[in-house]
Amino acid sequence: MADQPTAIERFVQGILPENPVYRQLLGLCPTLAVTNGLQAAITMSAAVTFVLVCANVITSLIRNLLKPHLRIVIFTLTIATFVTIADRFLAAYLYQMSKVLGPYIPLIIVNCLIICRCEVCASKQGVFTAGADAIGQSLGFCLALCSIAAVREILGTGGLFGIRVLPAAWSDWVIMVLPPGAFLTFGLLLGLVNWYSDRRSGKANRG
Amino acid sequence: MLSYLIDIFLIGIVAALINNFVLYYFVGICPFVGVSRKISTAFGMGCAVIFVISIAALISWTITTYVLMPGAPLTQWAAGLFMTPEAAAGVDLTVLSYIVYIFAISSSVQFVEMYVRKFFPPLYKALGVYLPLITTNCAILFACLVIMSKIVGVDNPADAWDLGRGLTLAVGGGIGFTIAIVIMAGIREELDLCDVPKPFEGAAITLIVAGILALGFMGFTGVDSGLRKAMMPEPAAVTAQVQAAPEAGGGDVHN
Amino acid sequence: MKPIEPMEPMPQSTLERLKNNNIIQAWLVLSLALFFGSALAGVQMTLGPKIEENKINETREKVPELVLGKEGAQQMAEAGETLEALPESVVVEKGGKQSTYSVFEALKGGERLGWVVKSSGQGYADKIELLLGLDPAAEKITGIFVLEQKETPGLGNKIVTDAWRGQFVSKGTAQRIAVVKGGNADGPNEINAVTGATISSKAVTDIINLAVADLKGPLAAKGSEGK
Repeated sequence: MADQPTAIERFVQGILPENPVYRQLLGLCPTLAVTNGLQAAITMSAAVTFVLVCANVITSLIRNLLKPHLRIVIFTLTIATFVTIADRFLAAYLYQMSKVLGPYIPLIIVNCLIICRCEVCASKQGVFTAGADAIGQSLGFCLALCSIAAVREILGTGGLFGIRVLPAAWSDWVIMVLPPGAFLTFGLLLGLVNWYSDRRSGKANRG
Repeated sequence: MLSYLIDIFLIGIVAALINNFVLYYFVGICPFVGVSRKISTAFGMGCAVIFVISIAALISWTITTYVLMPGAPLTQWAAGLFMTPEAAAGVDLTVLSYIVYIFAISSSVQFVEMYVRKFFPPLYKALGVYLPLITTNCAILFACLVIMSKIVGVDNPADAWDLGRGLTLAVGGGIGFTIAIVIMAGIREELDLCDVPKPFEGAAITLIVAGILALGFMGFTGVDSGLRKAMMPEPAAVTAQVQAAPEAGGGDVHN
Repeated sequence: MKPIEPMEPMPQSTLERLKNNNIIQAWLVLSLALFFGSALAGVQMTLGPKIEENKINETREKVPELVLGKEGAQQMAEAGETLEALPESVVVEKGGKQSTYSVFEALKGGERLGWVVKSSGQGYADKIELLLGLDPAAEKITGIFVLEQKETPGLGNKIVTDAWRGQFVSKGTAQRIAVVKGGNADGPNEINAVTGATISSKAVTDIINLAVADLKGPLAAKGSEGK
C-alpha cells in the first residue's frame, strides 16, 4: 500500500483540492437545505463532522475484519447509530436549532459523503489517516456550507448570524433565503470555483 | 368520509407540487443532478422511486405504529412478558427509528429487486439498473421521517396519520420527484445544444436551471389552502363571510 | 421420517463450510449491532428526560408573557416571583371526532391567573403552531405567540412581530375575530391583516377562532368549579 496518500495529504486534499461539495458534488441535500443562515450551516457541519470522524475511526479500526459483501451493512449501521446520537444531543442541548434543522439531521445517514469516505479511505488505511481524512473532508464541507450560507444570508436578510451588517437602505432579496436562492447561489458559486481552478491549472500548465 | 378524501387529495397535491421533494425540500438532489441527462432514463428513475417509496412508506408506517412509537401495541405486549404493565407502558423505541428505517429501506430494495427480476423480467430490464442507486436516495428516507413526525409526538392522537395518508404522501412525493426530474431532463436535452460558458457546464448550469424551476414551483404555494376552502365550506365560517368572498381564489392575493 | 444418523467425526471441510456460512460471517454485524444498541439505549436514558423537558419548557417559558403581558411578566420577574404552569390536556368532542388540546394552567400562589392553549393549523406555506393566552374565565384573549411557521419571509412571517400579535390582546371571545384588509380595523373584534399576507393573517385568526370555540366552554367550566 505504498501509493496510498498519507495522513497529511488526506487532510489537505479534503479541504480544497477534493472539496466534497464543490469538487465531488457529494452531500448536496444539506448543502442546499440548511444554508439559509450561517448558524444552521455551522450546526449542520458540526453534526456531519462528528458522524464522519466517528464512522471513519470505527471503520478503520475494524477494517481487517470486514467481509466485502457485508461492509455496506456495517457502514450503514455505524453511520445510523452516530447520527441518532448526534440528533439526540442536538435535541437535548440545542433544542431550537434541532427544530430548525428538523429532518435534515437524520438525512445525514444517506449523505453519500460519509459512506464514500468510509469506502475510499477508512476501510483501507489506519486509524490516524482515517481520522485526518475525516477532519479534512469535514472542514471542506463546513467551508462550502458556510460560503453558500454567508452569501445567502447577507443578500437575503442583510445580516450575518442575525446581526444586520448591510445599511438599512439595502432591500433584502427575500428570494435568496427561499428554496430557489439555494439552487442559484450554489450553481453560481460552483461555476466560479470551476472557473478559478481552470485558470490556475491553465497557468500551471503554461508555467 | 368526504373530508377524509379531501384531506388525502390535498396531501397528495402538497407533496407532489407545492412542497415538491426536490425543489422545496432538496431531497433526492444527487439523482436529480446525476440521472437527468435523458428523458427516458429520468422517467425510469422516477418510476423506480415511486415504486420503492411506497413500499418504504408502507413498511415504516407499520413498524412505527405497531413497534416503535411510545405505547405501540406489539412492543407493549412483548415488554409485558418481562415487566409490570406500568413499566411496559413507558417503553419507547423511537430512538431506534433511524436505524430501523434505513435497514427497512435497503432490505426492501433488495427484495424488490429479486422479486421483480424473477417475476417481471421486462420491468426489471427497465427499472433494474436504478434500484440499487435508490437505497441512498434521501427522498425515500425523508418520506419515512415525515410520516414518523406525523405519528409520533402529535398533540392530538386523533390527528395521527393513518396508512392512507402516509401512502399518499409517499406516492405524491415520488410523483413530484418524477415531475421535477423529467422536466429537468427535458431542459437538459435542449441545453446540450446551447453554448454554455465552460466553467458552468454540467452540474453548475443544472443547478441554476433548477433554481429557476424552483421559482416557478413557488407559484403553487397557497394553492392548497385555496382548494381546501373551495372544497370544504366550513360550517363555522358564517360570521366571517363578509370578507371571505374575494379571497376564495387562493394563492393570488399573496406576494 | 428419516432415521437419525449416527454422528461422524467432523471432517475438515465441514469446519471450512461453517466458516463460510453467512450467519457465522455476520458475527461482526451482530456484535456491532449489540454494541451500538446498548450505546443508543445509554444515550436515550441520559438525554431522553432532558429532551422531554425542552419540549415542555418551550411552551412553559412563554406562559407569564402570554397571561400577564410583556410588562406584567417583566415586573413579576423583577419582583422575584414565579408563575406555576400546570400542563393538562383537554379533550373536546364535536361531530363524533375527538380533539385533544394541551393546555397550561397559570397559577400564582394557588390563584389561577389564566390559561395558555397550544393549537395549530394550516398556514399559507406550512403548518402554523401557536400559543394562545386566555384569562381565567376564558372571556378575553391575553396574548398570542407563534411557535412555528414557515410563511414567506418578509411578508407572511410578519405574523410573529410584536406589533401584529399585539392586536389580539384583550379581544373578547364572545365573537369570532375577523381580519380586515387595508389597515382600517376599528370594530371590537377586528384586526388588521399583514400587508400582502392576508392568507397568513387569516390562517392565524382561524386557528385562534377554532381553539376558542372548542375550549371556551370546557375552560370556563373548569374555572367555575375550581374557585
